[in-house]
Parts: sequence; structure tokens; C-alpha cells
Amino acid sequence: MSEEKQEFLRGARSGVPLIIGVIPFALVLGLAAREAGLTTLQGVFFSTAMLGGTAQLAAVQLYGAGASALVIVATAIIINLRYSMYSLSLYPILEGRSFAERLFAAYCVSDQSYAITMTEYERAPDNLLLPVFFLGASLSIFSVWIFSILIGYKLGTVIPAELSLDFTIPLVFMSLLIPHLKGWDRQVSAVVGGVAAVVLVPCLPLQSGLLAAIIAGIGAGMVSSFFKKKENSEGEE
Amino acid sequence: MYFYLVFGIIAVLFIFVKGMFLCFIPQSKLPQVFERSFRYIPPAVLAALVAPSILYTRSAGGFDISPVKIAAGTIAFGVALKTRSILATIAAGMILLWLLTYLAG
Repeated sequence: MSEEKQEFLRGARSGVPLIIGVIPFALVLGLAAREAGLTTLQGVFFSTAMLGGTAQLAAVQLYGAGASALVIVATAIIINLRYSMYSLSLYPILEGRSFAERLFAAYCVSDQSYAITMTEYERAPDNLLLPVFFLGASLSIFSVWIFSILIGYKLGTVIPAELSLDFTIPLVFMSLLIPHLKGWDRQVSAVVGGVAAVVLVPCLPLQSGLLAAIIAGIGAGMVSSFFKKKENSEGEE
Repeated sequence: MYFYLVFGIIAVLFIFVKGMFLCFIPQSKLPQVFERSFRYIPPAVLAALVAPSILYTRSAGGFDISPVKIAAGTIAFGVALKTRSILATIAAGMILLWLLTYLAG
């Protein structure tokens, strides 16, 4: 019991470095929600009922601009399709949990909590309390996210954009990437994923370039594993 | 009411997308290939999230190549490889970003 609590808190603490980058983004989102004409109650619903980063920003801006419901919904969903990949990847960790718990995981997972949890999984794949760690990380990030959206809604972007604190997000993600680079097949998937994102993200709409790049990276890793074959059987995974 | 309808639908569909293979499509129904993909999802996802944010600055006009971010990001990656520390990587990357932005402008 207390061991679970410890693991939850460890997950929550591991979310802290990511929070620096999450706050300025959420402030912008809160400001955008006010500019789109949301009432306070609508703002509370908007920040608590969903967690979707860029997808949320696009949706609320389209809503404010008077776009049709279909356009708003489709845009938000397409931008967030990459999360389906996360659900595939989190499955081995959350497999043993009840349907309700997995549903809650789907509700509160973010890029950040996914990344931390997978890196923790890479370090200690046998940790049976990893679902609790994941929950701690997800909820610490989600609560800061909600709080910062509401601050942004009430007070605007209180942190000057010149500080570029959003740059901490890729900085944290690059350090979380490193443990996943063991084995050249995985290095191939990272290089292809990164290069494809650089090429595709600017030219495909609605961040579909990001999803395409992720799929390309996964595909490249799988292809390279055919060449790697049995020569060296690493003891991982 | 219209607002709650639109964003309520988004909230529900988000859970469907974010939980697609966790809650709704059982893994046993997926072809075996999917299982072999697990190993590659985190490196592909993280690299795809990182690379564009290091290379480009977003402006109203779209994506501009940012030499300052490229320099700060590349050196920070070296620090990350060397130290394996998230905080050291943030510190190196941000200090370089601020310093180079100041020197450049």
C-alpha cells in the first residue's frame, strides 16, 4: 500500500522537469480560450474534460472563428491521432489493469507522461508498480495543465514568450530518448522518425506529418530488425 | 449548449483515440507484426517530437529554420548523452539558447 503511494509520488516527481515547458503552452491555451469567447464555466469544462495540447488549441481557435462543428471535431481528432500509437505502446504496461483504469489512463495520458513512463519501463521493465508511476506522472502533469489554462484564461500569458520556456520540452524529450537508443535497429527508427518529421511536419496539414513520421520511424526499425536477425541476441525486451 | 456539444464530442473521441489499443481494439485481434513494433514506438515518437522543435521556430508565416535552436539543441543533446541528466540537459540547452539569442540579436 505505502509502496504504491511511493511509486505514485515518484511518478509525480518525475513529471516536474516537464512542467516547466507545459506551463507556458497552457497559458497560451487559456488566453486563446478567452479570446474565443468561452465563459468561465466553459473554460473549466474545456480544460478538465480533455487533454490534447495542440489539438485543443486548434479546436478552440476554430470555434472562436466560427468554423463548423465537423471541421472543429475532425481537426482536433486528426491532430491527436498519434496518441493511438501511445496506446499500443502502453498496453504491455497496463495490460493487467481493469477496463475502467485503462479508460482513465487514456483520459489523462499526455506526450509527457507517455515519454517518462516508457523511459522508466526501459530502465526497469519488471517493475509491477509502473502503472501507478504512470498515474502519478499523468496526474501531476494534467493538474498543472488545467491550473495553467485557467490562469491563462484569467490573467493572460503571465510568463514572457521571450524566455522561450517551451524549448524545455524538446530538451527533456531528447534526454528521455537516449535510453531507447540501445541497438542499432532502434537508432534507425529514431533517425528515420526524426528526419521524416523535419521533412513532413512543415508540409502536411494538421500535424499529420508527425503521425506519418512516427509510423515511418517504426517501420524503418522493423525493417532493420530483419537485417539484424539472430547474429547478436541482446537480452532486452 | 452548442459549445458543450462540440467539445463534449471531442472529449469522448479523444478518449477513443488515446485509448484505441488500450481499451477498444484488443491486441489479440491485431496481426503479430504489431507486437514487433512495440520496441520502436518510443524512439520513433520521441525523435519525431524533438527534431522539428530543435530545427524550426514557428511564426505566423510557418516554419523558419532557427540556427540558434539548432546550435543549442545539438550541444544539449551532447550533454544529455554524456550526463544522462534531464536537469543538466535543460540547463545547458536553455542557457545556450538565451546566450546565443542575446549574441545574435
